[in-house]
Amino acid sequence: MTLGVRRWETLAGSVQGVGKRRNQDWFDCRGTGSGDDPLVLAVADGHGSAVHARSALGARFAVDRFLPLAASFGRAAHDCHEPGRLTRLMTYARDDFPRALVHEWRQEALGHWDRNRPVVEEAAREPRPQEKLVLYGTTLIGAVLTPWLFVAWQIGDGDLAVVEHDGTLSRPLAPAEEDLGDETESLCGREAWLSVRMHWAPVFEEARAPRLVVLSTDGLSKSFASGDGYGEFVRGLAGRLAEKGLADVRETLPDWLAQASRYSGDDTTLAAALRPAETPLPAEAPAPSGTPAPGEISAPGEVPAPAEVSEEIPADAGAAAERTDGEADGDADMERKTET
Amino acid sequence: MSDIPGGPMANRPVHFIWLLDCSFSMQGEKIAKLNYAIREAVPEMRSVAHDNPAAQLLLRTVTFSTTAQWHHQTPVPVDDFTWQDVQVDGMTNLGEALHLVARELQTPPMPQRALKPVLALVSDGVPTDDWKAGLKAVDATPWGRKAVRVAIAIGADADRGVLQEFLGNPELQPLDANSPKQLAAAIRWASTAAVKAASQPVAGDGSGVSTAKQSYAPPVLDDDDDDDVW
Repeated sequence: MTLGVRRWETLAGSVQGVGKRRNQDWFDCRGTGSGDDPLVLAVADGHGSAVHARSALGARFAVDRFLPLAASFGRAAHDCHEPGRLTRLMTYARDDFPRALVHEWRQEALGHWDRNRPVVEEAAREPRPQEKLVLYGTTLIGAVLTPWLFVAWQIGDGDLAVVEHDGTLSRPLAPAEEDLGDETESLCGREAWLSVRMHWAPVFEEARAPRLVVLSTDGLSKSFASGDGYGEFVRGLAGRLAEKGLADVRETLPDWLAQASRYSGDDTTLAAALRPAETPLPAEAPAPSGTPAPGEISAPGEVPAPAEVSEEIPADAGAAAERTDGEADGDADMERKTET
Repeated sequence: MSDIPGGPMANRPVHFIWLLDCSFSMQGEKIAKLNYAIREAVPEMRSVAHDNPAAQLLLRTVTFSTTAQWHHQTPVPVDDFTWQDVQVDGMTNLGEALHLVARELQTPPMPQRALKPVLALVSDGVPTDDWKAGLKAVDATPWGRKAVRVAIAIGADADRGVLQEFLGNPELQPLDANSPKQLAAAIRWASTAAVKAASQPVAGDGSGVSTAKQSYAPPVLDDDDDDDVW
């Protein structure tokens, strides 16, 4: 079966929290959603307190490293409906992708630390790598969308919401119980890859692909008085997009985010992918770029570095794949979370 | 006001609870200075709260002597908070006070949507009841485990071991207040630093560094040059 390429529109913005010296969130959206150019979205929230003094950079590194990795993974999913391939892809997404992501982020952060060492007394002890990484602590939520596959990963707080083809709202990576207070898992954690949760959703029929995918930092969800507020927000966003169109929402989004940040006190960032419901598209129609809407920070304009994950699924994924055959054909949310 | 979907928005509460030793050993200057120090710290707490507009600072006080009781049972927004002096009376039933607090740290009545609560314990003596059971009750609540804890030891007779166990973290030490001046400084620190710590996001223990604790490590108080040392 040949699947046509569905064009995605993107919507994104970020505002700085009230009283914050700088915005420690980062976000980006790239790609069209075609098989050769997967749509990749990511938002990251640097922890921001004094012990995480470089977390704004950490958030940026997280997004910047996620994008090419996820795009490469998305391209590797090209023929994923071949027998057994989907299972291997899922195993890779669950087990290997988080390790690769954490490794890349650590390399980036430690490299930055080496090039930007703080001025200290000569006799001062060299901080351990883990201590250096804490400076850059950040959360990350990222997603990749291709004509065949929708996969998302999350470490730490923040929200992923999906409006399915039939209008159903789901929050596939939400923890069973929200963490109390503002403690969060982090990319700077000792075995951070174990804390990465994954949402796996193969797309078997184009018409059943999600209608709307929303990624946001916790500055948004924590602003609502009601526990259901965030879900209501996403439903309202979907309704407004359907009723008034993307241009209207793009114009309104900065005000919404600013209002949320006044209550949460946090930097507030949203990145979303919208699949227009009634626009027939040719199979390989060019799509607009994923450039975010105006926000208070702008997404980097450079094309991401070449993908650094092999487009071939590693051979050793096969053994693990045997164990997960039963899960691979449907949605699966996987969580490996350490206690905090 | 933009018409953002999702319903009403609200900032999140920080519940700050003073646990004050009002046993007979506090009689005289100690209790007078404690009352004075807390009254003087309230404006600074307001200032910290105003610097954190996303946090709604709510204050309560429990006193313990022969019994433990709420001095302010209903959480009072810091802007409406006025200090009413506490009085001394009898023994040092810290365990009972901790049980009272533990009941308030359940969800409900504590909301799920809140910042970490602050528990600030001030004592000059040795508990006379089963304080370990009270501490266990606090530790058994989700919010109790998450709480930012500070402890102030007044004078040489304070049982620092008890206060250390209350803190529950070997990296933190009780703050010694051996004179009126040091007590005022300690109360000021507890009132403000702990509130800031409660409203700052941090990485969990997975980071390998106990970041949450470092942000409110107690200050080093000046050597006391008061004539009046407890």
